[in-house]
Amino acid sequence: MCGLCGLLGVVHWTETSAHPDAFTGDARRTIRAERSHRAAIVNTALAPLRMKVKDFQASSYILSSATGRSEIVDDIQAVWGAVERLRGAPVDPLDPEWLAALPGREGAS
Amino acid sequence: MIPVNIVTGFLGSGKTTLLREILSRPEFSDTAVIVNEFGEVGLDHILLEEVEEGVLLMDSGCLCCTIRSDLKDTLRDLHDRAARGDIPRFRRVVVETTGLADPAPIVSTIAAEPVIRNHYRIGNIICTVEAVAGASTLAHQAEAVKQASVADRILITKCDLSDEAGIEALEARLHALNPAAAVLRSEGHDFDADFLFAEDMGDAERRAAEVARWLERASTRPQHDHLHDSHTNSFVLTYPEPIDWTAFGVWLTALLHAHGERVLRVKGILNVRDSDTPVVIHGVQHVVHPPLHLPHWPDADRSSRIIFITRDIDEAAIRNSLSVFLSAVAPLGNGEVAA
Repeated sequence: MCGLCGLLGVVHWTETSAHPDAFTGDARRTIRAERSHRAAIVNTALAPLRMKVKDFQASSYILSSATGRSEIVDDIQAVWGAVERLRGAPVDPLDPEWLAALPGREGAS
Repeated sequence: MIPVNIVTGFLGSGKTTLLREILSRPEFSDTAVIVNEFGEVGLDHILLEEVEEGVLLMDSGCLCCTIRSDLKDTLRDLHDRAARGDIPRFRRVVVETTGLADPAPIVSTIAAEPVIRNHYRIGNIICTVEAVAGASTLAHQAEAVKQASVADRILITKCDLSDEAGIEALEARLHALNPAAAVLRSEGHDFDADFLFAEDMGDAERRAAEVARWLERASTRPQHDHLHDSHTNSFVLTYPEPIDWTAFGVWLTALLHAHGERVLRVKGILNVRDSDTPVVIHGVQHVVHPPLHLPHWPDADRSSRIIFITRDIDEAAIRNSLSVFLSAVAPLGNGEVAA
């Protein structure tokens, strides 16, 4: 089990790292780099909605919409609830329109 | 952490017989069983005494109580009473669901409640299915399909009342419905208690064997025509190339937020970038258990294999969504790696 698994009791499962030695021993990626990578991936998912997250002091994320509305959330799971509150509908990963609008997919069949 | 096993199964499927066995067997002497009603289990001949108000001690040493106002209060209360010494300490909890109940909210209660999750963890979900009427129940009762879909172990009961062909057909159907669950037979009192209740993902020693069993079962599952249910789908997604763990997590959390009610079960083994050893994931609807690292691969195959059981979501939609998302984030690489 890696250093983050189960840490402090209530760490969301997405906050754990794939690497068994992450953040412990010979860590290859810093917490900040890990969170930055996570935010970049979430931003890929949010790009079709013109929304963004950014890491806030390595403890939470700030979600903001194109209209300037924002919300602070604790983890990735909470991002989706906040997205739903800010735009009035959830992100649907099964929605063909969302898939087609992902960065690099525009115009793909 | 005390494992909580959930015993589910449709009305008349043999849950009560299983619970009565648990309460009377010496190997469950350190177990607390939470039943719906004392009366239905028939405790008279195995009851030793009432140790506390509402908590009964069996001859075997097993504790039995009913659900008070709700399961959260009952679990907290049991823990508090054992800590105070009012009732004997216990090392396992078995919760009975009602015949029509969906077991998923119980999983959610244990996983979400901060106090409870510090003392308890989810153990195997055991579903009883009756050998004679089981096929018909699965065909007509959506609750029964749900119960079998989320189970880790399925016990076909009353096998002495059915013929071999009938049992084999039911086994094939259950295998198609829930490709990763182990399906066992029982004729009433005989069952492998250790395999049903104790061999689970929380047991570090036997975790790899459990994952190997999922994968072996999933790879030999019958085709969908055994399902006889156009709503429930089970399938395995396979990815030969290593997956970005974070991307997978982002995608799965978004999927479960939007469709968690219809993703009955997801479990599998991932070949993730940055790690030579696999990561195991398993979840029930909205609840995903903390991912676990296995010390080694359970077989020669190094591909990621993810087993889904869904309701009214077809395989192509999930497969396409994950593949497209993984390719969309591929340009991001692994992120910045510290020197």
